[in-house]
Amino acid sequence: MPSQRLLTATPATANGNAAEIGASVSAFLTAKGVPPTQAWLHTFLSGVRLTTPVIALQQTALFQIRKADLQTSITRSPSNLLPPGTTDPATKEKHVCGPITVQVLDIEDIGRSRWSQVEALEALERGETTKGREVIRVVPEESGPDSTAVADEAKSSGPHKLLLQDASGAQAYAMELLPLKGVGVQMSVGGKLVLRDFTVARGLILLEPRNVELLGGKVEAWDKKWREERKQRLKAKAGIGGER
Amino acid sequence: MTSVLGHLLSHDFDARYKAWKSCDPSQLFEASIDDFVEESKQPLAENIQAQARYCQILYIWTDCDREGENIGTEIRSVAVKRNPSLSQPGKTVRARFSNIERAHIINAAGNPIPLDEAQSNAVQSRIELDLRIGASFTRNLTLSVQPMLRQHFGNDDQGVISYGSCQFPTLGFVVERYLRVRNFVPETFWTIKIMHEKDRVKVNFRWARNHLFDRMVVVVLFERCLAAKTARVTKVQTKPTSKWKPLPLTTVELQKCGSMFLRLDSARVMQVAEGLYQKGWISYPRTETDQFDRDMDLRALVQKQTQGGDWAQFAQGLVDGGFSQPRSGRNNDKAHPPIHPVNFVNPTQLNQDEQRVHEFVVRRFLACCSEDARGSKTDISILFGGETFSTTGLTVLERNYLDVYKYDRWTSSQELPRFQEGEVFEPTEALMSEGQTSPPGYLTEPELIALMDANGIGTDATMAEHISKIKERQYVETRARARGAQQIGDDGAASDGETAVVAPAAGRGRGRGRARGRGGRGGGGAEGRGATNGMQEFIPTTLGVALVEGYENMGFEISLTKPFLRKEMELKMKAICEGRKTKAEVVHETIEQYRDVYVRTQQRLDTLRAAVRKYCFGENG
Repeated sequence: MPSQRLLTATPATANGNAAEIGASVSAFLTAKGVPPTQAWLHTFLSGVRLTTPVIALQQTALFQIRKADLQTSITRSPSNLLPPGTTDPATKEKHVCGPITVQVLDIEDIGRSRWSQVEALEALERGETTKGREVIRVVPEESGPDSTAVADEAKSSGPHKLLLQDASGAQAYAMELLPLKGVGVQMSVGGKLVLRDFTVARGLILLEPRNVELLGGKVEAWDKKWREERKQRLKAKAGIGGER
Repeated sequence: MTSVLGHLLSHDFDARYKAWKSCDPSQLFEASIDDFVEESKQPLAENIQAQARYCQILYIWTDCDREGENIGTEIRSVAVKRNPSLSQPGKTVRARFSNIERAHIINAAGNPIPLDEAQSNAVQSRIELDLRIGASFTRNLTLSVQPMLRQHFGNDDQGVISYGSCQFPTLGFVVERYLRVRNFVPETFWTIKIMHEKDRVKVNFRWARNHLFDRMVVVVLFERCLAAKTARVTKVQTKPTSKWKPLPLTTVELQKCGSMFLRLDSARVMQVAEGLYQKGWISYPRTETDQFDRDMDLRALVQKQTQGGDWAQFAQGLVDGGFSQPRSGRNNDKAHPPIHPVNFVNPTQLNQDEQRVHEFVVRRFLACCSEDARGSKTDISILFGGETFSTTGLTVLERNYLDVYKYDRWTSSQELPRFQEGEVFEPTEALMSEGQTSPPGYLTEPELIALMDANGIGTDATMAEHISKIKERQYVETRARARGAQQIGDDGAASDGETAVVAPAAGRGRGRGRARGRGGRGGGGAEGRGATNGMQEFIPTTLGVALVEGYENMGFEISLTKPFLRKEMELKMKAICEGRKTKAEVVHETIEQYRDVYVRTQQRLDTLRAAVRKYCFGENG
């Protein structure tokens, strides 16, 4: 009966509206640097309640796309992929405008020996950092305002070297020229970064706060595997003598 | 007025439990304990009882620390046997004092306070716990492992394998460092070095990133520096700096310095210090206090040292106006002041070891009463190819305390040429170089003491004992550290990378085939590398490694060879003193905790035996 239909009708099931919502979400994501593919958008829309306010949908979409593999979720165009020849070591220096969206596949702290990182992980495993169970191993020297804390070396973090991947699957190494907030070994694998206006030296992307935007997110499966295998990898790298 | 010699009472299990095979060790957790006066102390007890008979009040003047409080209650209990009235309120009192200056003592005498039962109870509980846990675990451990050792080496020499809640963590530190050294994997790192010659001075600039473990990255950064051609000075800063005079001397500090500077191990240092104290040359050497009371007349003590010795002139300088109030540390045990000289003695009256310890105490005290050393520091930073490098110059302007405290070093660096902010130059030399990480050294005694101190193992009075104990039980051995062996941490940039070579632990017995083959290189390890620098380092024996590995592999959350358990016990002692817990509660809780560990040890004895076979017999696990 007409009146009932009026009351129960969920406006968004009307096709027109879904398309509008889709476009709005897509525009929002594109502005953020993660333009969704039609397929991804479709899957997303079918999983949400379209009566939800658009702003909330936009945020949810961002949240979800950050957890996805770029290769299957965003549209590719020459302008958002790493230019060909980026990783060529023969090129002394190259400038890229971007914006280019990448995901993090690996993070390494190259300021500390791998072995000391392994030892730190093992101490963590033995529970030595849990409250009440701490074992103090380094006793600070005190000699005045100039005492240099050698112990600091063992704890200092960075700089970090990252392995990045764009939406086409191309990979490149990057390093923190200056410390980047949110970047470290605790960051999640699969997290997304948008790079703008950056330099590539001999195939190594140089990152600075001014040319990196951290979108965040992670790919659960990759992150889990990365953490599980970390100690193994560090050991292997240390054994080979640490050379790349 | 009379005295005692430390604890008056001894404690042991009731006769039924004394023999090792008399009961299952776990019964010792509940077995009754007797308090009694041991034979050697009988005359003291009898003396007290004789004196107590006719007195109205018992006035206790033992040290004002926990042990002293407990001894006070022991004295009371002995006296009360002959004169029960002394147990009534107000009939036994104690004096509170923390140094032996006349005015202070007279004041203390006039203001008695009651004995602190809480502190005494804390000590009681520690004594009981150490006895129950020590005995049960020692018996269990020895009975499980001793037979296999005796059988394997075919003799009856293998002694008791003891467990102590402080000994084991101490051993744990030694083994852990040993294993770290053994398992160490050297890694290559790369760095960029800049050198610039100006005004005929060669200035070396150090990279702000220190060194990195990725060659490609360093090559890229280095190339960018070279492409830049010139460097720009970004910071030139000269400011005053100082090297602080040392803190007043505590027992732990004396032991550490004894090892480092005087070539005397902790047990020997304490023995000599005790002797100097008995003869009246220095103050009581067992103290945690590193601050001098404001009302102590330190100038008078300095005055005494002007009479002779190499430091006489320096002391005179202090008296003539150079005196400065000592720094205050954060510790005060309220029972004793920091260690300091109390009288002048001509060094020729002392034997060699006494001279060295005495000299150290005097120099340390005079240094405390001096001024800090002062200097001027210049820091220069440059930006080269986007990378920052810096250098530092030091000019020592006033040596002050350094003139008497010859154990510290502070010297001027080469003088830096003048640089100006904004100045641009082309560096004389820019190089990329590589080095290798090297392992830390084995634990030296000062390091071990520092670790024990930081992790709450043992008190100033007992640390040296625990170290002696693990040597006595042949869990560890000491050997002289070879000169040139690394003393810096594992990221030290030593490009010659001399590592301490360690032979894999094999169960080689020595001579009579005891289970104490060396964990490291055989006896002559230090030879062939030239003269040693005299510092002793600890190497665990195969038995020591076996015990630690064995227990670790049992997979306890709360391992016996880690400091947590002991630290927890110390915290509970504190809780008793502060009235937050009762002795009964603490004893009960701790026994339950250890009983749990005991049961698990029983279930996993095979793990321990496997470790013994692996390390002591050299069988492959």
